[in-house]
Amino acid sequence: MHETPSNPNVQSPRSLNRTAEGASVEDLALLHQIQAGSQDAMAAFFDRYSKMVYSVALRVLNDSSEAEDVMQEVLLQVWRNPGAFVAGRGSLGGWLVVVTRNRAVDKLRRRKISDPIELFALPSSTNLEQESERALLMEKVQTAMHTLPVEQKSALELSFFEGLSHTEIAKKTGEPLGTIKARIRLGLMAIRKGLAV
Amino acid sequence: MQGLSPVEQEQAKEHLEACASCRSALDEVLADIALVGLSAPGQEVPAGARQRFLATIANTPQAAGEAAQPAAPESQKPFVYPVRVRKPKGGLGWFGWMTAVAALVVAVYLGVHSLQLQHQIDANHSEIAHLSAQAARAQELMDALTSPQAKQVTLTETKRPAQPVGHATYVCKTGTLIFIASNLHPVPHNKTYELWLIPANGKAPIPAGLFRPDATGAAAVVLPPLPAGIEAKAFGVTVEPAQGSATPTLPIIMAGQ
Repeated sequence: MHETPSNPNVQSPRSLNRTAEGASVEDLALLHQIQAGSQDAMAAFFDRYSKMVYSVALRVLNDSSEAEDVMQEVLLQVWRNPGAFVAGRGSLGGWLVVVTRNRAVDKLRRRKISDPIELFALPSSTNLEQESERALLMEKVQTAMHTLPVEQKSALELSFFEGLSHTEIAKKTGEPLGTIKARIRLGLMAIRKGLAV
Repeated sequence: MQGLSPVEQEQAKEHLEACASCRSALDEVLADIALVGLSAPGQEVPAGARQRFLATIANTPQAAGEAAQPAAPESQKPFVYPVRVRKPKGGLGWFGWMTAVAALVVAVYLGVHSLQLQHQIDANHSEIAHLSAQAARAQELMDALTSPQAKQVTLTETKRPAQPVGHATYVCKTGTLIFIASNLHPVPHNKTYELWLIPANGKAPIPAGLFRPDATGAAAVVLPPLPAGIEAKAFGVTVEPAQGSATPTLPIIMAGQ
């Protein structure tokens, strides 16, 4: 299932080295300051990540007021317990995206708050801390999504942005469950491949 | 993980704690999910959002043991703010201050621990309820397979040599149905097979599930949502659009009673 890049000089987007992909030096410095109670540091953190978090929430909820609520909740979580992220075991930006999506889906479906997830590492070539690099990455991901076959793109969007389980997607589309799982897996692989180029 | 039941989530968590390989695999999946999230079009935050957020944190204390936080590893202790103490002037006063500080530290720690325990209890209650529901469903399935009152029906293709075969097991009292088929012909991408319950009282056929054969021609419909107490005269199968149909589209390609 693992895919190896064709160019041996390109680091695999699936690097397993968590410490190398941990939070950036700037993020760690901000987190330490936030842990010390610095509201200015938290404001800087807000400036760095609020747009990304808000965009994900808005894509799921399609309501600016609810999206702002989710954004506030997620960033408030960092303010309340910055110590949970100081360890720098994984990508803070990646964690923010996934937690924002989960919270937004919970709100969309009026479910109970999802179980928390721990930090995880993004592919080593990604860097969400810098606005310019984030914009470049978003452009690459959007391009990769646009080039996917319609069924794969649809399955990914139903799963990520509408929070449907694989079974629910299968029921909605009338396709077998195995087909849906395969489409999502192939779509994710294609996106990863697009970033490795 | 959201797609798993609470029991499955707990099992997965336990396994992940001990299996570095699976943790790594899960991290990769989460990373992929994060990348999909970045496909969301960039949007500026609403006007005033920054001010609202800063106003909120100004009134929000930082505390350890946030309910929605990831479980802290053993090496991480609850964070307790240090309390500044004035240098005491007298021997007895100094001792009193230290005692008060120690009591405050213990009280904060116990409060945090109590909150964590309460959350664990709530999670356990939810898990117990889910397990009970699962057990009831399993018993329902077992009854359908073994009940002497279950109706056994074999369906065969009506107009051609009987190669595709279907077998339906139905319990009228509970509306429990299990349908297993084999040697089915493939259907076009935009079509599906649909199973129908033909009521004995002459009323309209009731949709009983959609199915598409796998590569070997096998398919199954297990415990579709059917009303209880409907006596079945027969079962039938038709070919319908991919999303199914509320009424059967002729011809009926398989039938049995």
